[in-house]
Amino acid sequence: MKVLIVEDETDLCDVIKSFLEGEKYIVETASDYASGLAKLANYDYDCVLLDIMLPGGTGMQLLTEVRALGKDDSVIIVSAKDSVEDKVEGLELGADDYLAKPFHLAELLARIKTIIRRKNHHGEQAIQFKDVKLFPEERKVLIGTEEVQLNRKEYDLLYYFMIRPEKLVTKTSLAEAVWGDDADQSDNLDFIYSQIKNLRRKLKNHQAEIDFQAVYGVGYKLV
Amino acid sequence: MQVSLKNYTLRYLSIAFLIIITIWAALFYAFILEEVYDNVDDGLKNQKILILREVYEDPNLLEINAYGINQFRITPVGDGDDFSEENYLDNEFFYMPYDDEMEPYRVLRTGFYAPDQKPYHLEIRTSTVEEDDLILNLTTALVVLYLVLVLGVYLINELVLRRAWRPFRIILENLNLYRFGKKDYLKPVSTNIVEFNQLNEEINQMWRRNEEVFDEQKRFIENAAHELQTPLAITINKLELLMEDESLSESQLTQLADSKSSLRRLVNLNKALLMLSKIENKQYKDVRQINLNQLVKEISEDFQDFLSFKDITLQVAEYGFFDISMNKDLALVLISNLFRNAIRYNIKGGIISITIGQNHLSVANTGNQAPLNQEKIFNRFHKGTQDSQSNGLGLAIVKSIVDTYAELSIDYRFEENMHIFSLKK
Repeated sequence: MKVLIVEDETDLCDVIKSFLEGEKYIVETASDYASGLAKLANYDYDCVLLDIMLPGGTGMQLLTEVRALGKDDSVIIVSAKDSVEDKVEGLELGADDYLAKPFHLAELLARIKTIIRRKNHHGEQAIQFKDVKLFPEERKVLIGTEEVQLNRKEYDLLYYFMIRPEKLVTKTSLAEAVWGDDADQSDNLDFIYSQIKNLRRKLKNHQAEIDFQAVYGVGYKLV
Repeated sequence: MQVSLKNYTLRYLSIAFLIIITIWAALFYAFILEEVYDNVDDGLKNQKILILREVYEDPNLLEINAYGINQFRITPVGDGDDFSEENYLDNEFFYMPYDDEMEPYRVLRTGFYAPDQKPYHLEIRTSTVEEDDLILNLTTALVVLYLVLVLGVYLINELVLRRAWRPFRIILENLNLYRFGKKDYLKPVSTNIVEFNQLNEEINQMWRRNEEVFDEQKRFIENAAHELQTPLAITINKLELLMEDESLSESQLTQLADSKSSLRRLVNLNKALLMLSKIENKQYKDVRQINLNQLVKEISEDFQDFLSFKDITLQVAEYGFFDISMNKDLALVLISNLFRNAIRYNIKGGIISITIGQNHLSVANTGNQAPLNQEKIFNRFHKGTQDSQSNGLGLAIVKSIVDTYAELSIDYRFEENMHIFSLKK
C-alpha cells in the first residue's frame, strides 16, 4: 500500500511517515505544491494525505488538478482550519475524507484503512485477528462462526482495536474516536474502563481468543 | 417617553405659539384700547368746547341736569363739593334701554364758571367699547388662529416632513436589516437632501471599514488557529509515536499519557475559542428549520453511554413541537452543550428532566445542592467548582449561540433541588 503525504510541515510529515511505515505502508512525501503535483501526476497512490495550505498553491487546487488528469487516487484532506466550508468544498472536489488537525495517529490510520477498503471493494474484506472477524461494510462481527450482537459504540470500539491489534490504544484516542466531541467528560477515563468491561464480557461469553489488556492505566491493547 | 421627531417639534411649536399669541394678544389689546380711548377722549374734549360755547350763548342750557338726548348734564356745584376746571376722564356704566343692560361709557368730568360767575359741574358721556365683549371676541379669534396654526404645522409635518424624512427611514430600516456581508437586499437611498446623502455615505463607509477589519480579523483567527494546531498536531503525534515504544516503563508511559491528555485539552480549548469567535462573527450563516424535539432525541441517543455510565435517568416530556429556524450545527452544539453540562455536573444515579413545549425547552438536572451564580454562569472561563477537565466555555458558547438569534433567550434557575436551564422563543 502506497501513501503520499503532501504537507509542508516537515516535522508533522516525519511523524506521520514513521507511524505509517510502522504500519507497513510505503510512504512518500512532498512538501510543496509543485513536487506534490509532480508525484501525483507520475505515480499512483492508494491514499494521499493532502494539506490545504501549501507553499505554491492550495491543496484544493492540487486536488482539482489531479482530478483533471483523470486520476482517482483516494484523497484525505488534512487541514488545520476545521471549517465547514473547507470540508464541503474538499468533498465536492472529490476528496474522500476530511481530517482536522490535530488528529490522533490511530484515527488517521482508521480513516486510511476505511477509504482503501472502500476503494478496493472486491467483495467484503474482513478484518481478522485470531478467531475474530469484523466486516466493516455490514458492521458485523463473527467470533469463530458465531455472530456477536454489538451495539454501535461497542462495534466502533472493537473496530478501533482490530485495525491495530497488539498496539497500545490510549484512552483519550479511544474516547475521541468513538464518542467524538461528547467524550470531553471529566470522568472519561473511568468511563472508557466501564465500556471496555462491557465489551470484554461479551467477548468472554463467546469464548473469543482475543482480549483487552490494560496498559498501566494509560490505555489498552488487543491481544 | 420617546416621540417621533415631527411630534417632538410640534409639541414645542404649540407651546411657543401659545406664548407668542398670548403676549401678542395682550399687547394688541392694550394698544387698541389706548387708541380707542384716545379717540373717544378727543371727541369728548371737543364736545366740551362746543358745549361751553353754546352755554355762553344760551344760558338755558345750564338747566340740563340729566343725561337725555344730549349726552351731557350740567349741575351747579354745591357747598363742599370739589371744584376743578381740570378734565377727569373715567369709565362708568349706565343703563342703556336698547340693550336692556348696563353698558360702558366714557365720561368726562370738568368744571366751569357760567356767565353768571357760578361754578358748574359738566359731565359729558359717550358710549364706548364693551371691553369684555372685545376680550371675548379677540380671544375667540385668537383661539381659532392658534388652532389653525397648530393644525397647519401638524399637516405640514405630516405631509412635508414625512416626505423629507423618507430617506432617513430607509437608512434606519437598512441599518436594522443589515447583516454582515449581505448588503444586496438593502433598499437604495436616493435623495437630494445633502445631510441624508452624507449620512448614508458615512454609514456605507463604516460598513466597508468594519467588513475589512472583520475579514482581517477572520483571517487572523484562522491563521492563528492554523499556526497553533500544527505544532499541537506535531507534538501530540510525536508523543503517540513515542508511546508505541514497548520498552517504556509505567511511569514514563503514564507521564506521556498525561502530557498528551493535557495537550488534547489545549486543542479542545483552541477549538472552543475558535467556535466562539465564529459564532460571534456570525459565520454560521446557513439557516434552516430545525425541530428541537427531534434533535433532543438524536442527541440523547449519542449520550446514552454516558447516561448509563453515571446511572442517570433521562425523562423527556413533550408538550409541543419546538420549531425554530437556525443553523443546524449551532443547534446541535447548543443542545449537546446543555446535555453535556447536565451530565457532567450530575450525581451518580441522578435525573435529567427535559421539558419541551412549543416555545420553550428546559433541561433540569440534579447535582450540587446549591444554586449556581446566575450572573456569572454564562461567562467565559467561569468555573463553579474546581473542575480541571472543563474548559469553562461550554455555557459561554450556549449563551453566544442564543444571542445570535434575537428571538431566543436562555436563563438559569435553581428549583426543587434541580438546576434548570430554560431556552425560550
